[in-house]
Order: sequence, then structure tokens, then C-alpha cells
Amino acid sequence: MQMPLLSILVFLPAIAAILIGLIPQKKVQVVRMVALGASLLNFAVSLWILTKFNGATFHFQMEENCSWIPSLGISYKLGVDGVSIWLLVLTTFLSFISTWFSFYITKRVKAYMVSMLILQTAMLGVFCALDMVLFYTFFEASLIPMWLLISIWGGERRIYSGLKFFIYTFAGSIFMLVGMIALAYLHKEAVGTWSFSIVDIQKLVASGDLWSKFEYLQPWLFWAFAIAFLVKCPAFPFHTWLPDAHVEAPTAGSVILAGVLLKMGTYGFLRFVLPIFPDVLPQMVPYISVLAIIGIIYGAIVAAVQPDVKKLVAYSSVAHMGFVLIGIFSLTNDGIMGGAMQQLNHGISTGALFLLIGLLYERTHTRMFKDYGGLKAQMPIFAAIFLIVMLSSVGLPGTNGFIGEFLAMYGFFQAAYANMFGLNVMYAAVAGIGVVLAAVYLLWMFQKMFYGPITNPALLRLKDLKPWETVMAGSLVVLIFWGGLYPSTFLEPMEASLNATRMMAVNPANKRPVWANINHDIDSEGDLVEVASRTPDQVASYNPTTAVVRVLSPANYYFPPLVNSPQVQGRGGSGNVRTD
Amino acid sequence: MDLPWTLIWAVLALPLVGSIIQAVMGGRITRNGTDEAGKRLMGFLAVFFVAVPFVIAALLTLRLTNLSPADYPEPLEAFDWIALKSMRIPFELVIDPLSMTMTLIITGIGALIHLYATGYMAKEKDYARFFTYLNLFIAMMLILVLGNNLLMMFIGWEGVGLCSYLLIGFWYKDVANAKAANKAFIVNRIGDWGFCLGMFTLVAFLMANAGQAGIPADLRWFSYDVFLPNCVVLLQQNPGVATAIAIFFFIGAMGKSAQFPLYFWLPDAMAGPTPVSALIHAATMVTAGVFMLNRLHVLFELSPVAMAIVAGIGAFTALFAALIAFGQTDIKKVLAYSTVSQLGFMFIACGVGAFWVGIFHVITHAFFKALLFLGSGAVIASMNHEQDMRRYGNLGKYIKVTAFTMVIGWLAISGLPPLSGFFSKEAILGGALGNQVAVIGDVPVGVIAGWIALAVALLTAGYMTRLTFLTFFGTKEQWRLLPAHEDHHEAHHAEDNSHDHAVHGDHGEDVHGFFFSDKEMATRHAEHEHHHDLTPDHTPKEVYPSMWIPLVVLAVLSVAGGILLNNNHLLQHWLYPHGLTLIPHEAVDGHPKGWVGQYLLLMGIGAGVLGMVWGYFVYRNGLPKDEKDEDSWKPWRRSANAQFGYDSTIMDAGVTGGGMLANLAWWFDSKIVDGLVNGIAGFTGGLGRLFKASQSGYARSYALMMLFGGLAIVLYFVYVANSLGGKV
Amino acid sequence: MEGSNLLLPGYLSVGLFMFIVGVVGVIVRRNPIVIFMCIELMLNAVNLTFLTFARFRPSPALHDVADPQIYMSGQMMVVFVMAVAAAEVAVGLGIIMAIFRLRQNVDVDEMNLLRG
Repeated sequence: MQMPLLSILVFLPAIAAILIGLIPQKKVQVVRMVALGASLLNFAVSLWILTKFNGATFHFQMEENCSWIPSLGISYKLGVDGVSIWLLVLTTFLSFISTWFSFYITKRVKAYMVSMLILQTAMLGVFCALDMVLFYTFFEASLIPMWLLISIWGGERRIYSGLKFFIYTFAGSIFMLVGMIALAYLHKEAVGTWSFSIVDIQKLVASGDLWSKFEYLQPWLFWAFAIAFLVKCPAFPFHTWLPDAHVEAPTAGSVILAGVLLKMGTYGFLRFVLPIFPDVLPQMVPYISVLAIIGIIYGAIVAAVQPDVKKLVAYSSVAHMGFVLIGIFSLTNDGIMGGAMQQLNHGISTGALFLLIGLLYERTHTRMFKDYGGLKAQMPIFAAIFLIVMLSSVGLPGTNGFIGEFLAMYGFFQAAYANMFGLNVMYAAVAGIGVVLAAVYLLWMFQKMFYGPITNPALLRLKDLKPWETVMAGSLVVLIFWGGLYPSTFLEPMEASLNATRMMAVNPANKRPVWANINHDIDSEGDLVEVASRTPDQVASYNPTTAVVRVLSPANYYFPPLVNSPQVQGRGGSGNVRTD
Repeated sequence: MDLPWTLIWAVLALPLVGSIIQAVMGGRITRNGTDEAGKRLMGFLAVFFVAVPFVIAALLTLRLTNLSPADYPEPLEAFDWIALKSMRIPFELVIDPLSMTMTLIITGIGALIHLYATGYMAKEKDYARFFTYLNLFIAMMLILVLGNNLLMMFIGWEGVGLCSYLLIGFWYKDVANAKAANKAFIVNRIGDWGFCLGMFTLVAFLMANAGQAGIPADLRWFSYDVFLPNCVVLLQQNPGVATAIAIFFFIGAMGKSAQFPLYFWLPDAMAGPTPVSALIHAATMVTAGVFMLNRLHVLFELSPVAMAIVAGIGAFTALFAALIAFGQTDIKKVLAYSTVSQLGFMFIACGVGAFWVGIFHVITHAFFKALLFLGSGAVIASMNHEQDMRRYGNLGKYIKVTAFTMVIGWLAISGLPPLSGFFSKEAILGGALGNQVAVIGDVPVGVIAGWIALAVALLTAGYMTRLTFLTFFGTKEQWRLLPAHEDHHEAHHAEDNSHDHAVHGDHGEDVHGFFFSDKEMATRHAEHEHHHDLTPDHTPKEVYPSMWIPLVVLAVLSVAGGILLNNNHLLQHWLYPHGLTLIPHEAVDGHPKGWVGQYLLLMGIGAGVLGMVWGYFVYRNGLPKDEKDEDSWKPWRRSANAQFGYDSTIMDAGVTGGGMLANLAWWFDSKIVDGLVNGIAGFTGGLGRLFKASQSGYARSYALMMLFGGLAIVLYFVYVANSLGGKV
Repeated sequence: MEGSNLLLPGYLSVGLFMFIVGVVGVIVRRNPIVIFMCIELMLNAVNLTFLTFARFRPSPALHDVADPQIYMSGQMMVVFVMAVAAAEVAVGLGIIMAIFRLRQNVDVDEMNLLRG
């Protein structure tokens, strides 16, 4: 029996939290060091998982499965695939960084660190869970520590914002719970037993059996899931909890909120919505795309007039997550890859922005633009780091922000150009304006904070960043350039899984990849193939160049599908090539 | 011995390395700009990391000239930048005449301007930061021209935009500079939006037609050598798509190359240090659009409409900017509008199918406009940062080298034979007046653009004569009448007046060590001493040799460049050995028929001379009375000074209108969208308050309520049982 | 072995009487100790009813119930109720003690902290 790495990853912070509970309240430094140590250790575990991870196969790896409530088909089931692998690493990394930053917290340190660690467990659980009940448990469990972080260690309106955050996202996910129970029931209707495992459910979706008698339910359940995730993302018009929560949350809370919690929404789309609702997706793509595009433009416009730095970045998150959504819902390989990349980038660059703002806030205790100006002369290192992070957020080529935005836009454009799903080029052109607007509000932010003469005398005494702060923020800058200059590190492990997810969504029944069938896999061209019969252990060592038996479905990256290709016509009708 | 092609990577890498060295060690070596020896070292390194690439590039170009086009090297791939299973975008460079020509301009002119900047910026404290940006700019510009795919061009495209942003805002303590920088970046982003859409449309079109075009074996969809041959046949069947793609790309070029309607960032960009204006906003970056049109000339050849639009916009911009130039008093602003106008000339050339002439004018313009800018920088430096030409006069007597070289630049831009500007301008006029390509419907847009260009040539000579005479000639030494000196850098030290630390005291004890102690503050203030070293009586002094040597070199090039490159169609055959891809040679051969062709040479020279003569008579005695102060200006001059209201209209609409829209959106967000959310919450709360009266807090009343509730349930069941006929 | 069905109304009547006494006691008395005693009375009335029905339920042979646990379900319920009652008294007395210490008075009408 191999080591339950994922369980270790998920529950190590929780164990550390219990340990911290045993430390006397007054030993503040010990509490901090234990929390930091646990986060660092957990980051190391996630890196270990990354090295053991095989990006060639789309199947779940390092799976753990044990029965929980067998009569209802609920199990404790964990697994990691390309969609989640980088999110795990991102979570542990940002948790580590924000725990490190939290050394500035002096109020009720013990309770604070326990909340941070429990939060970490909940977030990791979300990205590992393969059982819907388990997923839902972690999904909601992440709210509690975050709510505590906002409501206890937050700013002036912390009670209001914490409550709003909690109730809003909670209300959104109630629909998802209904949807999950309905799916488990549909599973029972189809094969006779309850199951909350998405692997089981997707198997029936792939063969078309799940929905065959309940086609009319599919749009309803789609929206049950979609609303939960749209609230979490957040997409227009469900975004108003975000600026409040960001502004009032302590810095570490903002970093985690922007960096990880928002990704649960887009992750949910990739994990549940695409694989499970393939038949209604083509009809729903325009709705989600329009919401995302409105979010891109609207978030950018509203961001441009905020008097508060954190609120500006919060609204920019609405815009950036819109790019993730249009990427994912382009249902092209490039677009989905771009969306997945963009969610990592957003985690890094927006997380970094909040971290830097937090570093400044610790010094000046203000977030208002009117109190800043001319900081570049005073804090050159800080200004340089801020500039790079800001440019990454703008999406400048060479930084990670560009890769995600470019791929997402490009994928979306392909779908739009081919008039797939009722889209047309106007959608993409309008979404592109968001890139211009991003430059408007971010440059304005930079100018307000760093350029011009120093007008606030309090700033004159500011020292530059301390060495440890520089290292902390610099580590994010390294990732920004890494992602921008050699994105393959991030793209490669994700591609097989995302490609399979795309095919689950666009291929017709019986041509869809099946998680439960371990003889399905992706070959080096990205086609769906059947490989020689193998055991679950062999999946982890799968090498796409060998042992292919037959091609089940060519990858077909092209819109509209190639005329001469053996590919069965993609879903959503054949797009028309514009000839005018 | 032939250099290996792979050395092109060194050309690209060296400026980047230089930039990193400046960024990481510059501050320490120059001791924050206080150590002169350190500055000299960093200055040397900055020039070194641009000059060496120039030498390498020159040797590689020599090797290339000995090859026939068929033997040109394959694109050099380094690594896969974006590698998906559906497409692949490698980091790859192309070595061909076009890329090498541009490389030589960038590194050659770049090295000269770096040398100039070591002198110009010698007093600057942020010396290393300046060269960090400047070296980075060279690297980005090289990526732009050397890259072998659209994405690499786009890296460079945005990268040079970034450097431009950083350098315009180099003196960031003045908010106006920061705003000019923002304006440049944002307007360029609008162009980039067009670039992206063009790129996406092109590749999405090819992908949608992959069945016919075939899928490139190595999936390099964005590489020139893959899509250019592919798109010819396909786009000929889809002229509408071809036009759309070409226009999208041209929008990109409009942004970067400052064409109407996106030109208005360039004059403001002159807020940057003068070497930046010379290098980025005259010689290299702004010509990127012309380079792009040459690189993608096939796409434009496919669409006569797009070409006509290019020529038309070019002509309009040339005329518009030339007129504005007459209303300017700032020497750098005149040169900036002159640049916009000359860029218009280049686009006329491209639009009428004379793509090589576009590059030809890029080269000659790089020579004389860099010369003029650097010269103006020398004038500004010697005039103690005074940029208003009305306060110059008779400077030729004091700064002889500068004056002499700038006069050469003036003659070159006015198109006097045999200087370089003459040849490229003649080629443009010939190409435009003789072309049969740029036509929309029956309107020969290209030919009209040619006539406009002829008129603009006259105007160009006019405003440049005005600039030269106001600055160097005439007897009135206006600068002697000036009050005590003003230092435009004064704003940098605006913070010195405040020693207040009351606010800091509000935070109580500084436990984290965030703030400077009083003692440290004292030493910091000592470092902030001003450096006034202005001559008391304002007498202009000639600048350092490091500044006038580049002037002399550029003057020589401005004289000889045109005749060398045009000799025996050297440049044309080098860039386009087989002519254009689709358009036959006859359509763009550059020789108008009939009397126009006969008198073309005469008309070209005549326009220049006429402009100069007019300028001489108006400005030979220095500043005319009606130009002295703005109250006495004629209406047309005031209007030209205000860019005919264009800039203010756009900025009002953009900034004020955009701000109002944004505030409206914010109001909508907080009141309507969020109001709805809070409304639902409030409704629930109100409902709760309605029923809360029943919770009296008396335990016994609760018990009574429970009793009634229980009784009600029992009675209900009794009722149900009865209604079922007592069968339960 | 079956008891006479004639006794059934008697047992149930006693249970009902005890329950009504308990209800009236809870409503009219203000001393929490007495209220507690009344609650106990009600619980025991229910217990008595449970036991009565368990004793007098119809013969199992008629129903053919396979699960033997169901024979004892009434008695099981009583044990549950007793356990719950004990726990409730323990908690309730604790609260009463705490309130008494706080305000030296245990009149239930003056304990209205939970008023909405």
C-alpha cells in the first residue's frame, strides 16, 4: 500500500492546527513558527506530489478511496489530475507566503494561525475531493475560517463584510447541493445504486445513460452548479461580495481569497460543469460568455474610479476572472489551457498585489490613493517589484499574465470566428477592450501611488522593504517571469487532463473520455485512445508513445471540424466560415 | 571567415544582459548617482552592450549579402515558448534582409544615442536606471524585428511600449510626465488591441480552413514562414477577410507609429529625456509599424482597399501634423510633429505598394531626425533646459558644432539634393504619383496621397526653416532677456520642504523598524542637495564631445546615406529582390506617366526650396512680432497650436467622459447590483422583525404556545381521521 | 399471558391525567423547580403510555415481523426518555443554579433574556 500522500497533504495543516491548540496562548513566537513550519512542510509535500505526478495521462492519480456512508454511495475519495495539480501547489505556496506575512498579526495570534491552517486544509480538500459530498463539505468548510479571518482580524466594516461573504457564497452553493443530490439520484435511476462519486457519474454521462431519461433536468442542474461557481468566481452580477470582503479582510486573507478561493469557482466549472453537462453546454456558452465579458469590461470600468487600492484590485479580479471564464467556455484546447493558466496567474499576480499592498498598509495604515504619491523615490525596491507585478496584471508579454490572457482570448476568438455556440467575432473584440482598460486602471493606480512628488509627509520617513520582505515578494516575481518566459512548466502537466475535459464536453456520447475506464488515455497528439489493458498502478507510469491500441476519437482542435477528418462532427453544429 | 548565424542570439542577448547589469549593480556602482567614475563605467557598459551587437550584426549582414535569397538561413529556434498539442510558438529568430536592416539601424543609431546619453544624462542621479531602460528597449526592439512569429513581434511590440512608458515617465516626480507616460501606454494598447485581433483573425481563418490549407507539420501557426505562403491562396478567395486582417494590423501600426487618429500620444511623449525622444520616438520604435507592414506586405497586397486606407491615413496624418508643427513653440514639439508627419510619408509609401521605400525613409529619417533631436537636446542642454524657441536666437554663434550639424539635418529633411532626405522623398512622391494599386472604387487614393505629400514636402521645409532660423540665426538673442534661471528639474525635489514627522508619530512606537530615525533623516536630506551648475550669464556652451561626436556621425550619414542606399537600386534589390509577391512590378514602378513624370524631380526639389525661401523671408530677422506672445497669434496658429482641438476633444471624451461613465457604473454597482443583494438581506431581516414580537421571553407563554400547537396538531389528526370515516 | 384489554383505558387514563397535571403545572407555576417536576411528570406520563402500548400491542404472529428488536421498541423508548430526562435535569438545574447565583432570584417570569 502506498503512502496516502493526498490525505497527508490535506490534513497536515489540520494536525498542525491541533498542535497549536496545545501551545500556551502567550508563546506567540512558537505559535507562529509552528504554523510557518507546517505551511512550509505542506508546500514541500505538494512539490513532492508534483514530482510524482505524471502529466501524460488524464486519469486521477494517487487516488485514495474508502467507504464513508455506503448506503448512499458516499465515500472518502481523493485524487489529483492535471486540472488540480497546480492548484494544489498554488494553494500551499500562497498559504506559506501569507502565513509568513502574518507575522505582522499581533491580535489573538493563536486563533489566527489555527484559522489559517484549517483554511488550508479546507482549500486543499476542495481540490482533491472526487466525491461530491466530500467536495461540498470542504467547499463550505473553507467559508468558516475565512469568515473568522475577515470578522475578527479585518478592517472597520469587518462584521458586515464577513457576514456578506459567508451568506452570499453559502446561499450560492445551496443550489449546488441540490444539484449534487439530484445527480446522485440520477445515478440510482440509471444503475440502481446511489453514488456521489464524480468518477461514477461521469462514466454514465460519457455513455449517455445518465441523462437519457432526464434530458429536461440538464439545464436546471447546469444552472444549479453554475450559479454556485459563478458566485464563487465571481462573475457579474454576483460579484458584490468580493470588493467588500477584500477591502475588509486582513492581508493574508485577501491573498488567499484572491489567490485560491476564487479559483474554486473556475475549478468547479472544469471539474463538474464541463464533464457532467455536455449536452446543454453549447446552449449555455453564450450566457456564460456574456456574463464573463460584461464582467471584464464592467469590472475594469468600475475599478478605474475606486479611491481605495484594495477595492481597485478587487474589481480587477472580476475582470481577470472573466478571462478565465471565456477561456474555459470557448471549449477549445487553447482557450481551456489559457483559462487554466490564467487562474494560476491571477492567483500569483493578484495575490502578489494584495501582499504588496499589505506590506505598505502595515507601514502607513491607509489604503486610500489620496494618501499616497511619490513612493518610487522613497522605496525603489518596493516600486520595482510593484511595477513588475502590476505589469503582469496588465498582461505584458514576458510575464505570466500574458500567456493566460493570450491563450484564453485566442481560444475564445477561434470559437467566435467559427460562429460556434452562437458566438461571433464581436464578442471577442469587445472582450479585447478589457485588455486596454486593464492598462488604464492599473497604470493609473501605479501613477497615483508611485509617481509625482510626495505630498503626504508621513511617507517621507518610510524605509524600503526589509530583506525578508523582499525575498517573500521576490519569490512571486520569480514565478511571474517563470510563467511568462517558460510557461511549459505549468502547461505541460495540465494539458492531458484539460484536453480530456474538453473532449468530455464537446464529443458526442460514447466518444467521450471516461475517468472510470483506465484503458482510456490521451496520446502524444492529444487524441483519445484506448491503450492495452492495464492496472491502476500502470496509469501513473503511462507513456503516450507506447501501447496505443486504437484511436477512439481524434483530438480535433479545429473549428469548424475538418471536413476530411475522421472526426465525428463536434457538438453545437458546424460553424460557418465567414466569407464576406 | 563567416560568422555562424547563431551569433544573432548574442545580438539579442547582449543588450538584455546590459540591462540586467545596470539594474542589479548600477545603483551600487554609481553609489546612487553620486560617483562620477562609477557613472563613467556604467555609461561605457551601456554603450558597449549596444555597440558590440552592432558589429556582430554588421558582420552577419555582410555574410548575408553574399548569399542569394534561396540560401538565406532557416529560422533559428531556441526553445518552445508556448507549446500545446494544438499549436506551438517557439522562440525563434529570422535572419533576412529586412530584419538585418532594422537590426543595423537599431543597434547603430542606438549605440550613437547611448553614447550621446552618457553625456546628456551625466548630471542625473538615476543614471543606471536610465540605461537599464534604454538597454532593455534595444533588446525589446530587436525581439520585435528579429522574431520569426507574430507572437515574438508582439513581445517586442509591447516591450518597446513598456520601455517607452518607463522612459517618458523617467522624471516621475513631475506628474505631467507620468500622465504622458500613461497616455502613451494606453493609446498604444488600443493599437495592440488591433494587432491582436488581426493576429487572431489571421490564424483563426487559417485554422478554420485547415482542411484546405493543411496543418503545418510543426504546428507553428504564428510563424511568418508558415502562414505567409499559406494565406496567399486562401485569402485571395476571401478578400473581405483579407481586408479585415490588414486593417486590424494597420490599427496596431497606427498606435505604435502615431498615425491619425492615434497619433496624439507622441507629442506628449517628448516629456522624456531627449535621447529617448531621438531613439524611441523618432528613429526606431515609432517606425515599428512600417516594419510590420513590410513584414506582412503580402496581407496588404491582397487588399487594395486596405492599401488605399493606409496611404490615405498616411497622407492625412502627414498634412495634419505638418500644419500643427507651425503652431508649436517648443523645439521638441516641432520635431515631434515633424516625426508624425514623416511617419505619414512612410505609410504613404507602404500604402501605394512601394514598401521598400517605406524602409528607405525609415533609414534616412532615422539619420536626420535622430540628428535633429540630438541637436535639439544639445541646444536645450546649453540653454539650461529652456525648450521654447521664442527664447532662442543667434545660437549658431556660440554652439558651432551643434548648429552646423543641425543645419545639415534641416537641409536633409527639407529634401535638398543630394542629401539623404531628398532620395527617399523623391521615391515616395514617385511611387505615390505613379501607382495604380491604392484605389477604392474609382478614387485613386494613392495618387491623391502623392499630391498631398508634395504639398507636405513644402510645409516640412517651411516649419523646419522656421525652427532653424529661430534657433540659430537672426540677431535677436532672446535668451539674454530672460529673468533668472529656471530649472525644469526643480520639481524633482519638491519633497524637500517637509520635515514633518507628526504623522509618523501617530503610529506610536516603530516596533517593526519601518521608518527612518531622525538621525537617518538628517543624512538623507544632506544627499538631496540640488546640483545647480548653470552659468550665471546664460552664455550657451558647446556640449561634451560624447554628445557632439554622435551628431557629427549622424550628420555624415544624413548627407551620404541616401545616395549610397539608392545607388543602383541597392536597397530595393536587397529588400525585395523579386519584387512584391502579388502586385506586378509595373503597378508600383515609381515612374508617373506624362508631364507628372517629367517634372517630378523638379516639383520635389521645388517644393523644398520654396518652403525654405518662404521661411527665410519670414524668419531671417528672428522672431516676427506676431509670434511673440500667444495673444498676438493669428487664429490659425492658435488653432494649430491646439492640434485643431483634436487632442483636447479626445482627452476630454476619454478622461472626463470615461470618468463619468465609470462613476455611473460604480453607482450602478453599489446602488443597484449590491443594493439588490442588500435588499434581499434586508427583506429577510424585516420579515424576522415582524415576527419577533411573538418571542416575549416569558417561558410560560412559550409553554402555553406549545400546548396550543400540540392541541392543534392533535385536533388536525382527529379531523383527518374523521374525514376518512374513522377507518384509522 | 396477555393482560386483559379492559385494563388498557385505565393505564392510558392515568397517563393522560399525569400529563395534564404536568402541563397545567408548567403553565401556572413560576418556580422553576416546580416546573421541572411538572416536566418530569409529563415525561413519565409519556413513559407510562409507551409501556402501556408495548404491553398491549397486538400479537406479533399476526404481523410476521422478522426483526426481534421491534418487540422491545416501546421499552427501549422508555429507557431513552429516562436518559434524556436525566441529562435535561442535569443541564437545567445547572442553569437554574447559575441564574440564582447571578440574581438571587429564580422567578421564571423575570428570566426574559431571550426576548426577541
